[in-house]
Amino acid sequence: MAKQKRTIVGENLTPSLLIELGGLEEFPSTPMDFKPDGNWVNTYRIWTCHGYRESGNEDVGSLRITRRIASKGTFVLELRQEVVQTDDLTNVIEGTIKCRLNQLASPVEWRLSSRFERPDGKVISELGTGNHSAATESVTHTAGDWCLFEAVQRLAFDKASSLSFDLLEGMSLSKPGHRLFYRRTYPMKTDGQSIPLHCFAQFGTGILPYEYWLDNRHRLLAVISMNKAYVLDK
Amino acid sequence: MHKNATERSPDHLVSRRNFVKLGGAAVALLSDGVLTKRALAGRQDRKPRPGNIVLIYTDQQHIDTIAAGGCRHVRTPALDRISTSGMSFAQSYTANPVCSPARASVFTGRTSCETSVYKNGIAIRPDIPNLGQWFSQQTDYETFYAGKWHLPRTYTSRIPGFKVINTGIGGFGYLCDTAMSRACEGFIENRSKSKPFLLVASFMQPHDICEWLRLNMNNPGELRYPQLADQLPELPENFDFDRNEPESTKKRRLGNEPFKGKWDKEHWRYYRWSYYRHIEHLDAEIGRILTALDRRGLTKDTLIVLTSDHGEGMGHHQMVRKSSFYDEAVRVPLLLCWPGHIAEDKSDRVNLTSGMDIMSTLCDYAGIRPPTNMIGVSLRPILEGGSGASREFIVSEGNTNTGRMLRTQDFKYIKYVDDPVEQLFDMKNDPGEIRNLVSDSHYAPTLAAHRRLLGQHEARLDVAADIPHAEFWRKRG
Repeated sequence: MAKQKRTIVGENLTPSLLIELGGLEEFPSTPMDFKPDGNWVNTYRIWTCHGYRESGNEDVGSLRITRRIASKGTFVLELRQEVVQTDDLTNVIEGTIKCRLNQLASPVEWRLSSRFERPDGKVISELGTGNHSAATESVTHTAGDWCLFEAVQRLAFDKASSLSFDLLEGMSLSKPGHRLFYRRTYPMKTDGQSIPLHCFAQFGTGILPYEYWLDNRHRLLAVISMNKAYVLDK
Repeated sequence: MHKNATERSPDHLVSRRNFVKLGGAAVALLSDGVLTKRALAGRQDRKPRPGNIVLIYTDQQHIDTIAAGGCRHVRTPALDRISTSGMSFAQSYTANPVCSPARASVFTGRTSCETSVYKNGIAIRPDIPNLGQWFSQQTDYETFYAGKWHLPRTYTSRIPGFKVINTGIGGFGYLCDTAMSRACEGFIENRSKSKPFLLVASFMQPHDICEWLRLNMNNPGELRYPQLADQLPELPENFDFDRNEPESTKKRRLGNEPFKGKWDKEHWRYYRWSYYRHIEHLDAEIGRILTALDRRGLTKDTLIVLTSDHGEGMGHHQMVRKSSFYDEAVRVPLLLCWPGHIAEDKSDRVNLTSGMDIMSTLCDYAGIRPPTNMIGVSLRPILEGGSGASREFIVSEGNTNTGRMLRTQDFKYIKYVDDPVEQLFDMKNDPGEIRNLVSDSHYAPTLAAHRRLLGQHEARLDVAADIPHAEFWRKRG
């Protein structure tokens, strides 16, 4: 059997490259009344890339984040992430994170669960975990990775927009020394039109650089880090 | 040639062997279900054994990637903790610097050409038991597996001898390691403390550096994030390479992304910075498992072993990935800790160890004999402060059975099939493997001695059927 041709991508993933590689058709249009600090729901496909143009690039899960305004000075993120593994074993992380209405969306209190489901939907009870925690009042230098999906939408498209923080990944793993900053405006061409996108970048310990891509209305359209991308779904 | 399964099977049955040792009383007790396999094992060996065993297996981890071991470019609290709570081996070598062959050797204690796994994607020869099968037969440890297997399927819910609790996702450590460590966390937190277990947590990271290489092959000509300029690690001292290497080494280098993409030194340094971030990602996921053991109060009674299938080029000799016999690809971390039993915060820089030793070592700690014909040896005497006979040499085999590396205390000898270029390095005075001594007449006796040792090693192997180049190596014995 002839070996399948595989061309190395060679470059970092961007929204334009996602279109070339089949990871994106087009981003959904943002409602006129979208407010980053209001109530909204963003659902993302989790797409991965092996680094070849022709093969191994696929959706492996989804992430839904729902923002609800809570009491004064706080808001709540409802979260549901599914990652489908080989043989259709699915990891579901679900729960809520109460955040401060500060630049980092610093977590105040959270209740999350992780469970594994078989292809028939049956939960494997032996593998489930729960995580219920609260941060102290003084913890304002910490950001959760999912919380940043919210926080970045409230930042100005300005070189002065720069945040320093410690990352609490998955609301459980501490990764200190992070920085998120505005990088540039980037014209994405699709169907003959050029859409301006705005890019923030984040780097720090324990992660490959993240790039957050937003439209003019400050809606987060895609988050790309090395070989994985969260792509806003229709 | 190997014996067939029928001839070997009596050795693999715990009941028969122990029945012979214990006599008729054991038969009666076993039939009543009173005398357990654990008790039988206890009769053989009364050394203490850990309540649980966790084998953490990483993928493509360069040995110098642990902060506690002296690496100043990474933050690795979990790896540091395992390292300082126990013992590390500085002269630790993989049995084969390629994924599947290395894994087969770790899980059987045998060489690649014995297990049949001479390249990626091949199953272990059926008459050789793997760690899970052996422990299931011989001990009361329940055996569990999470993550990458690759013998032959990379990710699968069916692994002989193990209950698979998590499969992972094809090729994506950045995502699947998180799900895998969460599954291990759940397993540890929900499991009854009275039931001993052997858990293999087989991570994909830092193997995602392969995806990184494909997504960064083209030299961008400028640093993608200028903010990182002052954070990029320097190039290794042995960044340069000998132009008179074996052909397969030359081909491998030229076929890799840095040469295709015409990297400049800054891009090489960005690659090294990125590799360290992969390590930190891995470290955090390992930390989740350690924390779960703490929360369940299992840490003190759990033997933790950490190693990797092979290393990573990291720019040494301008290499990336694996497959070569230079130390960056063939030397791997090996850490073991069991509080109160294994010396703490100790690094052994004398003993040569092999991935094949893990099977024998775990059998020793479980109080059972290893399977027959093992090449690997137990490290327990060394770990527990005994003198532990330092072996004369270890051998690593190469991908597709085309090469051999023989490492003695002072030298490394490398030979490939049908390639006149051999390599001999003085590892004490030239640890970067810069100067090939093969043509230096002063080292002719050393070269001859290493060739002879390799021949002796080859002569004792029980090589599987249909292994390419088997005859070439057999003749050297």
